[in-house]
Amino acid sequence: MYDFKPIADALIGCDKPKVLELVQSALDRGVAAKEILNDGLIAGMDIVGEKMENEDMFIPEVLMAAKAMGAAVNILKPLLAATDMKARGKVVIGTVRGDLHDIGKNLVAMMLESAGFEVHNLGVDISADKFIEEISVNNAEILCLSALLTTTMPMMKETIDQVVEKGLRDKVKILVGGAPVTQNFADKIGADGYAPDAGSAVKLAKALL
Amino acid sequence: MVLKGLSGGQYQPLSRGQIKTIHEASLTILERTGFSYESGLDDTLGMLKDAGIRVDHQRSRIFFPKGLVMEQAAKAPERVVLFSRDGKNDLDLSEDRVHMGTGGAAIKIIDLETGEARPSTLNDLYQLGRLVDQLDNVHFFLRPCIPTDISAEAYDVNVFYTCLKATGKHVMAGVNDVEGLNRVLDIAAMVAGGREKLRQRPLISVITSFAISPLKLDTQTTIIMQEAVRNHIPVALSCAPMAGSTSPITMAGTLAQIHAEQLAGVTICQLTNPGAPLLYGGIPGMANLTTMGYLGGAVECGMMNAAIHQLADYVKVPNYNSSGLTDAKVPDAQAGWEKATTSLLAAMGGSNYVHHAAGMLESMIAVAYEQFVMDDEIIGMCCKVLKGIEVDSEHLALDAIDSVGPGGNFMTSPHTLKYMRDEFFSGNGVTDRKSRDKWAREGSRDSWTRAREMVKKMLDKKEKSYIPNNVDRAIHEKYNILLS
Repeated sequence: MYDFKPIADALIGCDKPKVLELVQSALDRGVAAKEILNDGLIAGMDIVGEKMENEDMFIPEVLMAAKAMGAAVNILKPLLAATDMKARGKVVIGTVRGDLHDIGKNLVAMMLESAGFEVHNLGVDISADKFIEEISVNNAEILCLSALLTTTMPMMKETIDQVVEKGLRDKVKILVGGAPVTQNFADKIGADGYAPDAGSAVKLAKALL
Repeated sequence: MVLKGLSGGQYQPLSRGQIKTIHEASLTILERTGFSYESGLDDTLGMLKDAGIRVDHQRSRIFFPKGLVMEQAAKAPERVVLFSRDGKNDLDLSEDRVHMGTGGAAIKIIDLETGEARPSTLNDLYQLGRLVDQLDNVHFFLRPCIPTDISAEAYDVNVFYTCLKATGKHVMAGVNDVEGLNRVLDIAAMVAGGREKLRQRPLISVITSFAISPLKLDTQTTIIMQEAVRNHIPVALSCAPMAGSTSPITMAGTLAQIHAEQLAGVTICQLTNPGAPLLYGGIPGMANLTTMGYLGGAVECGMMNAAIHQLADYVKVPNYNSSGLTDAKVPDAQAGWEKATTSLLAAMGGSNYVHHAAGMLESMIAVAYEQFVMDDEIIGMCCKVLKGIEVDSEHLALDAIDSVGPGGNFMTSPHTLKYMRDEFFSGNGVTDRKSRDKWAREGSRDSWTRAREMVKKMLDKKEKSYIPNNVDRAIHEKYNILLS
């Protein structure tokens, strides 16, 4: 069996040139793209996620690892059958109406993507209607709502209420996050989960599907 | 001992040359990189264009010419006076005069009875106002927590009303929208005795976090800021990037970006209403690189907050910044060292209006009643440092030394009696200086326990309303006041 550990290690070491070189050399030796993806890259990113959660890695390092992962996936893409690329799950993510903060939300989006989710990042100041439209269009299984301001937190509840009203609540799991958000608040507004940081968000998303 | 408005400036982390270098870098950022914006700011953009500022609609960018920025900054007043209603706590914000008080928008409070964190309420805000009113070294009351038990639509009116009722010190808070601002101005005018009186003696001021770092205008808050400025109500142009996530990881880069953001805010305000009073509101902070949360208690926060005052002073605008944050979750030793270090640096830097300096825990997430008492002590000590060491013939005490003579003692010298109450900082009583035996006999109480007992005593005192009854009734008739 092919040794994928060096690929995972290079990813954990945020060494993009090394990751690309190892992926290419695996391909040259006839290893299937699907195996490189699952046993090398995604396995590596799972460890990155764990390290992030344990605060063993700085977030900028995590992001560099995610970038290396993205570049490697681009090499593999043409070689992967549509079925191999099956996403772990489909996610719609955005910052709620009235709130223009997006850094934390983008971090979660990147981490979800690296973990194999198909992520539709809508941006900031997103209305409930827009979220609902995107859930339907993309057949999303997870909805992630972000807010930084205590004043826009109520929009999270309003968005969830709208999802309920439109009859989509059974279709999606809803995760909420942002500096002022708490587990208590998430429970109160009827979300399925809350994560205090991007690493836990990924873990939670995996657990919910 | 009055320890308010004393002059800092003893600690200057930036040399004159470094200040100039950063200032020039900031002007370059504004001219080359510019500011971005979202929709809803057409009027503001029109005003900027009319003034000769280039707006690139395709890229949503505003580019500020250097000369124009400095011309506008020169219109901002060098001195802003914020008024109290107790007659003792007016704040003369100018030069290196230091004032320190509360601040933040915490959503949790450590319960006085259980010691556990729980959501903060409107009543907490009221009780904290009453507490701060009795703490001499806390110079103003900026709402330290959010009343999570009332709806967001009710925030603006109820937050300002509650603060104004609880304390006679200067009151500051943010508002959610322009309607909220206008309601708050109306209430403040009722308390002040009319709009004109409010304008002459602003007993409230408004935090306007107009910039989302890096370099982006927040639509709603920019509009609120301009409306407040039109009404001549002092605004604090708050922007609080975190080094490593929303500003460069380096301190110099973070200072340059913040200074650029502030100059943009000052420019927008002065174009809106030339000469309007405002506070330069750069708050340098740091990202926790393992979580991307806010790091409050880092020593570099103290260093950068001293430096940012130097940059505000360079453009001759009084400044609003931050100290006394901690990443500790309870009032423990870590809270003590982080708060003391950052507050001392900010004070010695000469910052004019230092918020967050009392009460905060868990970075900006929580407050504790007891912490306000402890921080009152820390602020007092910081300000005592600013007082310095007086050296004149009386303080040199040559006559006392001569009359006591070799081998005598100073315990009964009239000179000792004369100065013993003023020469040393005496504190509010929370600091333990007893012998171990006495301390043990009294229950071996730690500082958290001692502070809790003091809080209870202060809150047990008879309530005193700082809003006259007739005005209070009129406010209740006009607005939905939720404080019971």
